[in-house]
Amino acid sequence: MSRLRMFGSRLLGLVRRRGGDDNLDVELRSHLDALTNEHIRRGMNAEEARFAARREFGGVEQTKEAYREQRGLPFLDTLWQDLRFAVRIFAKKPGFTAVAIATLALGIGANTAIFSVVHSVLLQGLPYPEADRLTVVWSIFSNEGRGPASGPELVYLRERSQLFEEFGGIWAQSGALTGEGEPEHVRLGLVTSNFLSMLAIKPQLGRFFLPEEQGTYSAKSVILSDALWRHRFGGNPRLIGKSVHLNGNSITVVGVMPPDFKIIFPEGSSVPPDIDAFVPFASNLAEDPRDQCYIRVIGRLRKGVAIPQAQAELDSIATQLRSEFTVFSEQALGLQVVPLHGDVVRNVRPALLTLFGGVSLVLLIACANVANLLLSRANERQREITLRTAVGAARGRVIRQLLTESILLSCLGGAAALLLGSWAMNLLLSLRPAGMEGLVATAFNLPVFGFTLALSVLAGILFGLAPALGTTKLNLVDSLKEGGRTVTAGRQRIRNVLVAAEVALGFVLLVGAGLLLQTFASLLRVNPGFNAQHVMTVRLSASGVKYQTPESAIHFFRELQKNLSATNGIDSVGVISHLPFDDTLPNWYSYYWPEGAPKPEQNTVMADHRSILPGYFASLGAQFVAGRDFDPIDAQENRPIAVVDDSVAARAWPRGSAIGKKLNVENGNFVRDTVEVVGVVRHLQSHSLTDPVRGQIYLLYPRAVRAHMALTVRSNIDPHTLVGLIRREVANLDKDMPVYGILPMNDYVEKARRPARFTSTLAGIMAVIAVLLACTGIYGVASYSVLQRTGEIGVRMALGARRGEIFAMIMRQGMLPVTTGVLVGLGLSLVLTPLLSRLLFGVRGGDSVTIAATGVLLLGVGVLACYLPARRATRLDPVAALRYE
Amino acid sequence: MTPPRVEVLQGTLDLIVLKTLDILGPLHGYGIAQRINQVSEDLLKLNQGTLYPALLRLEQRGWIASEWGVSENNRKAKYYSLTRAGRKQLATETESWERMAGVIARLLGAEGT
Repeated sequence: MSRLRMFGSRLLGLVRRRGGDDNLDVELRSHLDALTNEHIRRGMNAEEARFAARREFGGVEQTKEAYREQRGLPFLDTLWQDLRFAVRIFAKKPGFTAVAIATLALGIGANTAIFSVVHSVLLQGLPYPEADRLTVVWSIFSNEGRGPASGPELVYLRERSQLFEEFGGIWAQSGALTGEGEPEHVRLGLVTSNFLSMLAIKPQLGRFFLPEEQGTYSAKSVILSDALWRHRFGGNPRLIGKSVHLNGNSITVVGVMPPDFKIIFPEGSSVPPDIDAFVPFASNLAEDPRDQCYIRVIGRLRKGVAIPQAQAELDSIATQLRSEFTVFSEQALGLQVVPLHGDVVRNVRPALLTLFGGVSLVLLIACANVANLLLSRANERQREITLRTAVGAARGRVIRQLLTESILLSCLGGAAALLLGSWAMNLLLSLRPAGMEGLVATAFNLPVFGFTLALSVLAGILFGLAPALGTTKLNLVDSLKEGGRTVTAGRQRIRNVLVAAEVALGFVLLVGAGLLLQTFASLLRVNPGFNAQHVMTVRLSASGVKYQTPESAIHFFRELQKNLSATNGIDSVGVISHLPFDDTLPNWYSYYWPEGAPKPEQNTVMADHRSILPGYFASLGAQFVAGRDFDPIDAQENRPIAVVDDSVAARAWPRGSAIGKKLNVENGNFVRDTVEVVGVVRHLQSHSLTDPVRGQIYLLYPRAVRAHMALTVRSNIDPHTLVGLIRREVANLDKDMPVYGILPMNDYVEKARRPARFTSTLAGIMAVIAVLLACTGIYGVASYSVLQRTGEIGVRMALGARRGEIFAMIMRQGMLPVTTGVLVGLGLSLVLTPLLSRLLFGVRGGDSVTIAATGVLLLGVGVLACYLPARRATRLDPVAALRYE
Repeated sequence: MTPPRVEVLQGTLDLIVLKTLDILGPLHGYGIAQRINQVSEDLLKLNQGTLYPALLRLEQRGWIASEWGVSENNRKAKYYSLTRAGRKQLATETESWERMAGVIARLLGAEGT
């Protein structure tokens, strides 16, 4: 209690310092006066009395000092003193201070920016209630990897699991909203009745689905997204309870989701983030066929259940299912549970961690640079520090003061970094790849601020410690005698070590950046199986009353294709259901098998299915490996034929040609069809530039009618005129047809390159910063050593050393840490860069050419940075140089 | 010959100040110093300045309180007085001092025999 009171009154004492000092003065003066008067009264003269009073009182200043120490908190008091001193020192050397702060701001700012992404993407959970217990449950098929589950599977999971609180599922589909206003294509989420309540606390308006609304065989209720509610219904709060027309049925709006609600699912799960409307599953899931797999399942673990426990339970459930149902044993069904968040960031995590590692290296280099700056200032401050030590300052006290200075410096750098970081943040946002779009927070928040502060203090200690220890470890007499111009061999050694470390770290960064840039270059060179140049794409949606019959939609697209193809300057026009790299639509992929395949091989291998009109392959410049393209007569006669890509052909008929073979495919919502393969086309990359992901099966549009379609128009017309032209032709056929998503095909491909562009651009920026910092570091040390050795050089010259020898001497000395750094960096890169391999494409982790080029580059930089100081040394006037000492 | 003056023992200054205030009531720093000299008959070697940090310490502990007033010769002066906590502290410190003194005395006496 008393201790607490003491602390409080001392804290107050800090604040009340000014007034307290005045009061103490009055009190002490009045004491001294009274003492003096007493002596006068006893018969001394005024002078003697004052002197005697002083003697009895003791030192007034010591009293005040002791009083102040008692009053405030000595720690904070000293800190305050040191800070004021530091500010004075910095103000005296604005150039040094500016360079140091700028260097640190660069290092810390880069870290702040990357950390804010790391924080929002990797550390912060998903924006769902108790998101840490949300998992994705995948069905695993022996030969196809992970996929969606069937209705019965979901029901069995619910019945048999003890460790999961609940399971929910979604299947993204396309739908059409008709009725009042333009017909509109909507992304529809078919969900279990509990799905939305697993991901959101409550709807913005209305309610979530009730269990009895699921499995009624025709959906009667719909929940809208905030975006759809606003743009189509003007944000009308009275919409709840009214009906809308969805896919030709009249159904009731029961709720509206909150504005910030997003479905964040792993890439490749074919659940787009922006779903416009949700309806409950219409079928009774338990009665679905067991091999109809379409539900993306999420599960909420019970409190305290760990993933391995849950996995063990799912393994035993899978075993039960395989033994009870032949379909599951034919599929060799397995179940896998992964944390939802972990699965979502699976693809961006390695890139982010790599970049985070990269920026830490940048910061280390920046610290080494500032440490070198401080060391070169150390000599100037030698006198001051020696003097302090001589009058009795303890070494610890001086080290503390120097550390306070360096921490203040780095905190100033940190403050500048926050400004720089917010600018860098915008750069990051403009570059961020698709996987991060739903996740990145734009504003700086408390954790990011705290990180920056902690990093600043840490950096201050890191770069301040060596100089502080070096400066204070001195022989007092020597350094006073030598007028503060001494340079100890020890300090030069620290500086060389720092430069070598900078070069080594810069080496690693350069190699990493080089590898990532080569990856990006390989991606630019990759042949995606089509030629995106000069191709414009347009999305259309044939939904609504006019297109109730397939014939009307077929007629519309065929006419549009015919009219556009007849236009001057347009080479070819294609029509397709899913454009390559367009992930805004729910993907259409399903099982296929060659006719007559044994039962276990049915329903286990999946391919993307695409619906096209003849002309699509020509418009994208796809290459046929065998057979022929669809022709207009095929479409007219609606022939049961297909074109497959080389990977489907190789998988279904590993020996022999695919042409003329029969293939079992899906041509609509679970409608099976058997088609004859007429052509094999080279795989058209559609999800990733580096990985084929899945095979492709192309069906004729009349056999697989879809509402949403896209045009691919190859032409040599200026894109702007082309857009107008396409709009006119569409309006000629149907003035109500919505035209949207007008984008050059290149934009879609570019989007696929964004992750690589993101990492390689950032790594490139880091490498440039690293080289610049290393360059100034090398230069600083070399030119400083010339300054230090001016006298020696003068002597050598006076004794007849040639300029060439002087030049070589300085170069040799300057290059020593550089070559050491290059060698160490080479070793480090051989160890570290293979860790990058997940991010690389077209180049290996320990690529020797990259490493060799980096070595040459850094040695070149070193030579360049040493050249100027070395030349300066040769131009010294020996007489002036001798006087310099 | 006057006997050599004794240094104020570490920790006893607090006790001395508290006791002085207990006996004389509110007093300024000069008054406390005079009283100490008077009672010890100038045998205690006290730098009067050292009183002030001690007074501050006692005040921070809450054992004494201070108030500005006017001294006998019409100067502004700070008057210190014992608080209730201070009185309690004085009692405990007196007791422990006496116990200590007793022990020391017995020790010294024992050595003598």
